[in-house]
Amino acid sequence: MMSTATTGSKTGTQPLPDLLPENKKRITPKRPRDYLCWAVAIAIVGGLVTTTVTNENYQWPVVFSYFTTEAILDGLVLTLVLTVASMVLGTLLGLLLAVMRMSHQAPISGLARLYITFFRGTPVLVQLIFWFNIAALYPNITIGIPFTDISTPVDMNALMTPLTAAIVGLTLNQAAYMAEIIRGGFASVNRGQYEAADSLGMSGFTRLRHVIIPQTMPAIIPATGNQVIGMLKETSLVSVLGVAELLNSAQSIYARTYQTIPLLIVASLWYLIMTMALSVPQSMIERRFSRSTRRPAPVAVATKESLL
Amino acid sequence: MKADGTIEARQLYKSYGSHEVLRGIDLSVKAGEISCIIGPSGSGKSTLLRCVNGLETIDRGVLRVNGEDFGYVEKDNAYHAVSPQRLAEQRSHIGMVFQQFNLFPNMTAEDNVMSGPVLVKKTDRKTAREQAQKLLAQVGLAGCGHKYPAQLSGGQQQRVAIARALAMQPSIMLFDEPTSALDPELVGEVLAVMRDLAHHGMTMLVVTHEMGFARDVADEVLFMDDGIAVERGDAREVLANPREKRTQEFLERVL
Repeated sequence: MMSTATTGSKTGTQPLPDLLPENKKRITPKRPRDYLCWAVAIAIVGGLVTTTVTNENYQWPVVFSYFTTEAILDGLVLTLVLTVASMVLGTLLGLLLAVMRMSHQAPISGLARLYITFFRGTPVLVQLIFWFNIAALYPNITIGIPFTDISTPVDMNALMTPLTAAIVGLTLNQAAYMAEIIRGGFASVNRGQYEAADSLGMSGFTRLRHVIIPQTMPAIIPATGNQVIGMLKETSLVSVLGVAELLNSAQSIYARTYQTIPLLIVASLWYLIMTMALSVPQSMIERRFSRSTRRPAPVAVATKESLL
Repeated sequence: MKADGTIEARQLYKSYGSHEVLRGIDLSVKAGEISCIIGPSGSGKSTLLRCVNGLETIDRGVLRVNGEDFGYVEKDNAYHAVSPQRLAEQRSHIGMVFQQFNLFPNMTAEDNVMSGPVLVKKTDRKTAREQAQKLLAQVGLAGCGHKYPAQLSGGQQQRVAIARALAMQPSIMLFDEPTSALDPELVGEVLAVMRDLAHHGMTMLVVTHEMGFARDVADEVLFMDDGIAVERGDAREVLANPREKRTQEFLERVL
């Protein structure tokens, strides 16, 4: 009875073949809340689009006119340079800190722990301003090789330019976070892997190079990718030091023209473009490594020859 | 280096803090002999086995493996720890098979088996690969060399682990509950490989809960409880007619 009624209403004239119960499709009906969610989302997006288009104060023509001006593009390049420089230096220092932190020598691991606590426990903005003003603490330092006469005095004010302070501040801060990421990678490797390598008579270095480090990568690489994206945005903080990166370049322009909002939009759009560009390789890396933890074949095949 | 395949331990003591794990254990395994250590969990049997290749250190006692003091040298009325290089050298003559297999997940089965010869003995890859293929065939895994541990069953992984240990051509093989982490239907294939190894005259020290294996294969059985060797002797004799009350109680519970 039911099937005839449905058939009639759906197809009009042609009756559907009577399906066996085990072949019938199962249908979950849409509920009011499913439509409501769409309605709310469309209303919010529609409202936002309308106001951005109709509100003259956005000054879209100004945004477009400044989008690729030289000052903005120079700032963009400096932002990328700062990101790369502090990530590379921060990762190297972070590796050193992670090794120190994992040391069995209590004073060594204590030092690393102190460093990490301090740099993760204070705001990076404060750290940046601090490094910029370090000359107030140490006006003159002497760089030299211990136990020799080779040394040279350095004027801290001359050394600590805004750019140096920016790179030092971002690097030292990033190193603390990278140290924890690297340490986490090592902690993710089972103790049995060390024992298996030992039982074969591997040296400490061989064990690290061929057994342990390859297994830390699935934990370290995706997390490091996130740090790169974070660092890209974090570089905007050095604008307070007067380093002419992207945000600072935008600020310099609106300080002159009072077109604050359009220039902030220019900077924001560039940050958005760069983070979106970075998130493509980032999600590829994440997929690759999350797959490898379930089924190691795809990753390991590519690097097979380098493993031994 | 003689590597004569013997283990000789006298009065081994080991504590973790105030907890004494080994309390005066004696152990003697002759070349080509199969010795099984049985006993309840927490009795110190795995610790004893792990001391034999230095994954754990003993606090006191004499431990001679392959005819020489293991991990330490006797000098001026004391035992002095050897260098890491020397310890690694001594370990390379002792094969170890773990309860959790501990295969290297970043390497194929074949690379796992080759890892010892290539990375430790510096054997050239071609020779090592041929040897690895031979060993994988010996444990019944011919043609599985290209697979990664995650693609193998527990029983297959454990057999790869045995092949990996054998690739170092050890004079002694240690087994730490090699079948305890396996599904029941996979236990047999691992035990079969171990039986085969026993028939080829390998010195084996096996911590196990497989009483059938101990009865059929072992020359000697050591029953441990609470860090003490309660009873030791001919495998069939101890398992069939235990003299000690504690051994009787344990066997009644597990059989």
